[in-house]
Amino acid sequence: MIAAQRGGSGQASQSDVDPLWPKPFPVAKHWILGSVTGVAVDAQDHVWVVHRGVDSLQTNEKGPTLEPWASSCCFSAPQVLEFSAAGDLLASWDPKDTKGYDWPANPSGIAVDDKGNVWIGSGLPTPSLAPAGRGGRGGAPATPAPPADAQVLKFDKTGKFLLQIGKGGKTEGSDSQTGFNRPGSVAVDSTANEVYVGDGFGNRRVAVFDANTGAFKRSWGAYGEKPGDEALPPYEPNGAPAKQFRTVSCVKLSKDGMVYVCDRQNDRIQVFQKDGKFVKEAVVSKTTTGDGSVWDVAFSPDQRLLYVADGHDKKVWILDRNSLATIGSIGSGGRYPGQFYGVGSVAVDSKGNLYTGETYEGKRVQKFLIRGSK
Amino acid sequence: MKRNIYIGSSLLVLLVALGIGQGLLERRAAAQASNGLKVQVPRFEVDPSFPKPLPNHWYQGMSIGVSVDANDHVWIVHRPDTVNANEAAGDAKTGECCAKAPPILEFDQQGTLLRHWGGSDGDGYQWPSSNHGITIDYKGNVWIGGNGGGDGLVLKFTQDGKFLTMVGKKGVQVDSNSTEHFGQVAKIFVDKKENEAYIADGYGNKRVAVIDADTGKFKRYWGAYGNKPDDANLGRYNPEAPPAQQFRTPVHCAEMSNDRLLYVCDRVNDRIQVFTPDGKFVKEAWVSRKTLGDGSTWDIAFSNDPQQRFIYLADGHDEKVWILDRQSLEILTSFGDGGKMPGQFYAVHSIATDSKGNIYTTETYDGRRLQKFVYKGMQTVTKGEDQGTVWPRKTEH
Repeated sequence: MIAAQRGGSGQASQSDVDPLWPKPFPVAKHWILGSVTGVAVDAQDHVWVVHRGVDSLQTNEKGPTLEPWASSCCFSAPQVLEFSAAGDLLASWDPKDTKGYDWPANPSGIAVDDKGNVWIGSGLPTPSLAPAGRGGRGGAPATPAPPADAQVLKFDKTGKFLLQIGKGGKTEGSDSQTGFNRPGSVAVDSTANEVYVGDGFGNRRVAVFDANTGAFKRSWGAYGEKPGDEALPPYEPNGAPAKQFRTVSCVKLSKDGMVYVCDRQNDRIQVFQKDGKFVKEAVVSKTTTGDGSVWDVAFSPDQRLLYVADGHDKKVWILDRNSLATIGSIGSGGRYPGQFYGVGSVAVDSKGNLYTGETYEGKRVQKFLIRGSK
Repeated sequence: MKRNIYIGSSLLVLLVALGIGQGLLERRAAAQASNGLKVQVPRFEVDPSFPKPLPNHWYQGMSIGVSVDANDHVWIVHRPDTVNANEAAGDAKTGECCAKAPPILEFDQQGTLLRHWGGSDGDGYQWPSSNHGITIDYKGNVWIGGNGGGDGLVLKFTQDGKFLTMVGKKGVQVDSNSTEHFGQVAKIFVDKKENEAYIADGYGNKRVAVIDADTGKFKRYWGAYGNKPDDANLGRYNPEAPPAQQFRTPVHCAEMSNDRLLYVCDRVNDRIQVFTPDGKFVKEAWVSRKTLGDGSTWDIAFSNDPQQRFIYLADGHDEKVWILDRQSLEILTSFGDGGKMPGQFYAVHSIATDSKGNIYTTETYDGRRLQKFVYKGMQTVTKGEDQGTVWPRKTEH
């Protein structure tokens, strides 16, 4: 274990990164991860990961896939991966191999419901400071823009397709009952059999659907008001709070039935009842501009703590869930174990271990052991 | 003299009896070409806690040089200007993290940052537009090259960053026959016996150049096979074509062994050429000869035994370190794989060894790390075995 406070600000984080988690893929496969856009933990404490696959690999990361063959490294790992808590790869599937639904250009957000079904959202944020990667000679050939992501997908745990809400390539506005605009996060209320969609990187709302039929049930915007898609001026840390979400990058359900929404580029979390009634909000790292500070959230098993993945400040903030006060942080910027680049996904297992996923050129999943958390 | 390096016989001394290395048997499939021959090679494990975090929220860019000094301190050079606006959000005032680290960084054996400097012009010298390669010479001085457009110089500093010597200048054209300047230098080696610096020259030029290490006076230079270098465009590398009679750019390393042979990385040609100090061609070998694009032979370091029996070769396109028998130039094994985890690589660019036999690597592009591979004694492997990611066998779990 390595103490996770790498290059940090001196706040006691009481966390260790496990630098040797997960285990390497089988050597003969030469698999690598692309930009990781979702991490979830299921009821067995298995860790599920979705990543952007070969489309997010630089030229030099995908030598054997080029024509002509250019090098032995590497192939994209399948885009959906299931790891044990010990870091063994248990299963993987690559939905691009199947038909009958619209696999997104950019899968984003993953959730596993109580039945073990796997939900995947879609879409990427509009680039602000996201980097242009450099991958060696030749560069990637210019490719036509993929269809806009506007769908949420449900699979069983083996990758068998079950349900699609929305339609790939057909974006709809924040008032739609059938479609989305880059809905990059999903959460499932298995008791009510409802799926909550963070919609999204294009729209400005949370939308709720029947988890079996995909039938629309309700939706709301910031402060529980009607969402609007009119253009917003750039985020101004000292300005009045925006009346609309700027980017809905996460939606998560606490055990006590509250809905937590990441309003990423407004640097804030808003909390709602399941019916959409606004409860409270908190700003995290208010001065952060650019990509924003609130990318994803997860709860400690006892629900006392709230972890906030901040891909711009390159850390995971620790908040007191009740007061929403920031009480600490984990990590700093860099490419070494325990450091982050583009940390945009966070999940917690039943023992309180924290898992993070990094997008952009981070391209990792990391495991942290949190001491003193239940 | 050209030797067929694929049929070397000097490996016989390395062959070992049957029945050793059972733990590796499952990997035999990866070593088909060897007919199951067993060889003894150094074993390494990555140290996932090396180096320690940089202070000041400093962020490391493309890391394009590593060298170890007489105190086993590890020096790297990286490119702060490759740190993008998101990574340098602290500098850009859009967030807390991070700030660009100075390009020259010195670490002790524990991975703690010591001295750090460089990046700007000074009295009597110009900093390269894209610094590249670092060497601590036998006197302890620090040399760097530069591979930015027009970079035609090498620089020498003390370890405290005090300027000593500039040879060449910026703003020059490619000219592999110049005796005034270089063409985008990749790396430097300084020979103690003759006090000469061997310049891997470079990203623009296609030669090895030798200068007096104190005065900078040009002494000699040569191209592939010892030929007069020629800057004609060779076109793309074709593994099926007859071997190119010139280096392709970049000429990416020049390292001299204890027995005074100069090993040159002809990166995009996927080969190592070996010369006498006066430029007479001795032999060559290809490594991963089908590799296209950036090529396979990025940098080499010798094992630290007096005979320097092994060559460690960084291959930033196949994402591994090859271990070669230095005499026969045959591939014995490799370790590493693509990825962002400890012991994995993206664009492993530079390699060096310390007095204990440990290996250090740096990664360019979006790898951007310094990694340490701890020498763990010898092991028996099937010749050609791909060891993959080499993690500690006894973890701290």
